[in-house]
Amino acid sequence: MGLLEFINFYLIPGIVLGSIYALGAVGITLIFAILRYAHLAHGDLATLGAFIALAIVTSAGISPLAALPFAIVATAVVAVGIDKVFYEHLRERPKIITVIASLGIALMIRAVVQVIWGVDSESYVRGISRPDVYFGLRIRDREIFTVLAMLGLVGALYVFLKQSKWGKAMRAMSDNPNLALLSGIDNRVVIMLTWIIAGGLCAAAGVFLGINTEIKSMMGWHMLLPMFAAAILGGVGRVEGAVLGGLIVGITEELSVLILPGEYKAAMAFVILLFMLLVRPTGILRGKVL
Amino acid sequence: MAALLSMDSLTGGYGDADILHSVSLHVLDREIVVIVGPNGAGKSTAMKAVFGLLRIRGGSTTFDGDNITGWSPNRIVQRGICYVPQVDNIFREMTIHENLEMGAFLKKGDLTAAYDRVYELFPDLKERRKVLAGSLSGGQRQMVAMGRALMLDPKLLLLDEPTAGLSPKYMEQIFQICRDVRDTGVAILLVEQHAKQALAFADRGYVLAAGQNRHEGTGAELLSNREIAEMFLGG
Repeated sequence: MGLLEFINFYLIPGIVLGSIYALGAVGITLIFAILRYAHLAHGDLATLGAFIALAIVTSAGISPLAALPFAIVATAVVAVGIDKVFYEHLRERPKIITVIASLGIALMIRAVVQVIWGVDSESYVRGISRPDVYFGLRIRDREIFTVLAMLGLVGALYVFLKQSKWGKAMRAMSDNPNLALLSGIDNRVVIMLTWIIAGGLCAAAGVFLGINTEIKSMMGWHMLLPMFAAAILGGVGRVEGAVLGGLIVGITEELSVLILPGEYKAAMAFVILLFMLLVRPTGILRGKVL
Repeated sequence: MAALLSMDSLTGGYGDADILHSVSLHVLDREIVVIVGPNGAGKSTAMKAVFGLLRIRGGSTTFDGDNITGWSPNRIVQRGICYVPQVDNIFREMTIHENLEMGAFLKKGDLTAAYDRVYELFPDLKERRKVLAGSLSGGQRQMVAMGRALMLDPKLLLLDEPTAGLSPKYMEQIFQICRDVRDTGVAILLVEQHAKQALAFADRGYVLAAGQNRHEGTGAELLSNREIAEMFLGG
């Protein structure tokens, strides 16, 4: 196998898949850093985002990329709503209760999606998209958009966390919740911001998965394990780690086909997760909350 | 002269059980007051009571003319009392400068004057403003913690065992900083494990035992009291 073939058929799809995982993993890592629990409804929230975009694409007749901002806003609103209605009461209780509740929310979101949109596979655009060839590299436009959008969204988040007053407040809350409260930081605002960001990124993950593959009610659930593997791999609580972790998981999944039967692709995230928990549970970039 | 802070016969605890039993103390303007006593005497609890972290079942706390009994910590901070906990009192993953910024979270407008004031008190911190607070030594962390609390220009600073775990050299440095802070017009109420040194440095002191007032007086008076020397200070 030549280098070009390796890049075209394994590396590029791996980076694209990894970028999608990264969008979800960043939200998972943020929720863990600030609220201290594993959010199991994250995948299904991404599914919801993908279907909201589908509804906009079919009703308004615009491209999925144009529908993306609306899907991001709508999913962020849903995420904040879910927190207010379901998770908020459980905040003072042991975290495991919220984890289990989020599994229930995952099933609920999926059921709603199936009731509204059915269980068949859908796509945003009919027809086959042919890749362009640049110096022998076969790249589709949608793949470029996926990677660029991931870098843009996560880059914006990074600047927000480093530079803005409320971004710093989020880091402070993750670092030392008691001291953040003593400093007068309103944790309700921080928690709401966390859900807005995590929900928005979830929608982006779902829409880009839909653009690059297909849209179906189980799409997000199948992403859950790779997204968690990515967050843990990068170090829980680290945004840049979640991106790195997402890319590694995505590329590993695509490369696994070289030595293992294709059916084992989905098991790679599980292997990475087990390996990291055994060898370096704090993640590559030394997570701050674990 | 009316006291800046006065706690009158305060009774309360964290849950249903009372830890403080009718404790009274006061702090005057620009005064350094220390609370000492054996382990479990309720020293830190008395301080947390001022800051609204306790369930109060009797008595009252007055600060600068306002009855602040039952106020939330948030409101008390805005009223002019800042509190430095004994442990976990910095944001480790944030720079020194960001720690100070978080201390001034409730402050509107330009922070330059507040930064200048804190950096003047702690010149060491100014040089290292871009350094992560978690990488500092114990004494420097304590300075960051105090600096964070001073960003809101409080009238009263509450310090919970600021010298715990520090070497004698740093202890002396922290005491000197307390005097410098007081000279900028801030009263200080602190809890100390190192009773002898603290009483020697403070203006006045209170000795608590079993959640009750036992003695009070100037540092020198308390240090010369035989009973205190034997009971609490190890001779």
